[in-house]
Amino acid sequence: MGAGAEMSIQSTGGPSVHSSDAANFFQRAAIAVQRRIGRQRIRAFLLGSIPFVAILSIWFLNDIFVWRQTYEIPSMKAVVKSFFHLQRNCPGIIGLLTMDRACGMTNHIFDSISRMLLAAVIGLPVGIGLGVLAGMNRTISKLVEPIAIFFNSISGIAWIPLAIVWFGIGWMTTLFIILNTVVWLMFFNAMLGVRSIAKVYEQSVATMGGSRWNIITDVYLPGAMPSIMTGLRMSMGFGWRALIAAEMIGGDSGLGFMIFSAAAEFRIELVFLGVILISLIWMATDRFLFVPLERWTVERWGLVWKPS
Amino acid sequence: MSAKLIVQGLTHHYPDEYTGETVHALDAIDLKVEEGELVTVVGPSGCGKSTLLNILAGLLPYEAGAVSVDGVPIRGPGSDRGVVFQEHAILPWRTVTRNIGHGLEIKNVPKHVREPKVQAFVDLVGLTGFEGKYPHELSGGMKQRCAVARTLCADPAIMLMDEPFAAVDAQTRITLQEELNRIAIATKKTIMFITHSVDEAAFLGDRCFVFSARPGKIKTIVDIDIPRERRNWNDMNADSVFLAARARILKLVREEVADVVEE
Repeated sequence: MGAGAEMSIQSTGGPSVHSSDAANFFQRAAIAVQRRIGRQRIRAFLLGSIPFVAILSIWFLNDIFVWRQTYEIPSMKAVVKSFFHLQRNCPGIIGLLTMDRACGMTNHIFDSISRMLLAAVIGLPVGIGLGVLAGMNRTISKLVEPIAIFFNSISGIAWIPLAIVWFGIGWMTTLFIILNTVVWLMFFNAMLGVRSIAKVYEQSVATMGGSRWNIITDVYLPGAMPSIMTGLRMSMGFGWRALIAAEMIGGDSGLGFMIFSAAAEFRIELVFLGVILISLIWMATDRFLFVPLERWTVERWGLVWKPS
Repeated sequence: MSAKLIVQGLTHHYPDEYTGETVHALDAIDLKVEEGELVTVVGPSGCGKSTLLNILAGLLPYEAGAVSVDGVPIRGPGSDRGVVFQEHAILPWRTVTRNIGHGLEIKNVPKHVREPKVQAFVDLVGLTGFEGKYPHELSGGMKQRCAVARTLCADPAIMLMDEPFAAVDAQTRITLQEELNRIAIATKKTIMFITHSVDEAAFLGDRCFVFSARPGKIKTIVDIDIPRERRNWNDMNADSVFLAARARILKLVREEVADVVEE
């Protein structure tokens, strides 16, 4: 490896004999990083970072020149501080994990995430199951499709007044709102996915003596994966947005609730923090859950093409 | 020799997908396929050869007549009749080995019994070294080899092949024909092979059923009495029996095409 790195320095017209040891070291380190991660990925990361860097720069400059007052755009420092301020009485990692009352910030985060997880655990199997059934059976699709279209047209937020009347403020209301978003989106995508599978796959399993169940597990579910992945991204994405909205009005904790109550107290830095956290959590979910899942399934099977 | 597949008075109509008119696809088909025999079915497009195969596979219900394999009437698809489809029908989400072993998996054959069997078929069709590959990483010819191995591995009583080499290039195609001949010798499988290529029908068949244009009827049965061991494309191009059989089949098929054109 070491020898190889040196070779490539020479072949790429690297440092001359006069360059210092320090420059040599940095060049070597850069090549090692490129080898480890890959040029394309570094390039993609850098390109994707440009808009973020631009926004952060403007924000940073506002800290210095104060084009906008701090009650409109808080300083970066205040936003970072507000995170730790809400955690100031948190009794360490144990308190954090046991969701001690004093750990204000992390409790809001955990509440939002666990509501989303609960909705995923209930909503995704229901949506996928109904979708697969409707995709394979005309009678079921005729029975379920119209009502699904009806419910899917109602945005999650529109349910909030009713949900509050039915379930009160808190867990049940937010869960109900997300489920309404997740189930129907997943249903339509799974149904479409099953319908778009070539008939010959199903026939080939049937002629090997496969049962209906074999066909569902070996053909419909993997074959519908491209659509199911789209459904997963859509339903979780819209579900996450609906959750934040639901927490604002019908919740008593969570990031949405935090933002809403911070705004009422004119604590603009907490609103900023909440918004940033909402996006960061989503980006992390996409990067560490959905992207690997896609690589592991549809990309490996050659069902979708990777953009080059 | 005993008859493996018996078809008696098989008749079938179906409504055309677009016009809704009733199509008379098969008219009183009678045929027998003996154990270990490879028969080819050839005829003009739309003569009902694929309809016949779909009925035999159990994918299409039939109206009138009787169809049986080993004396058991056909009711729906079953593992006694393996099918190799025209399109690439191996599952894109399974590797070569998992595709080939799929039939055994469905029959709940335990892994330690399954694995050596699957490997034997991987080797038989020349896919050694590609066991862990997914179909999209294989060439068209390799995909069809995998499909043939998958069908054989499930050990059906009869293997039905629906123009399986139609989508591959000409060079690969003659290689696949020679390989199928080799496989037929090695496994002694009963095979029904549907094609529209006269060359293919004459090269592979012990007997060749020539179909008439719609409604599909068996016009003539051409015997091709050449031992399997001697069948390879180098020798066949100078083999008088083969050349005569091919010329006869070609003439019969062309008459049918001409009839359709005149109508």
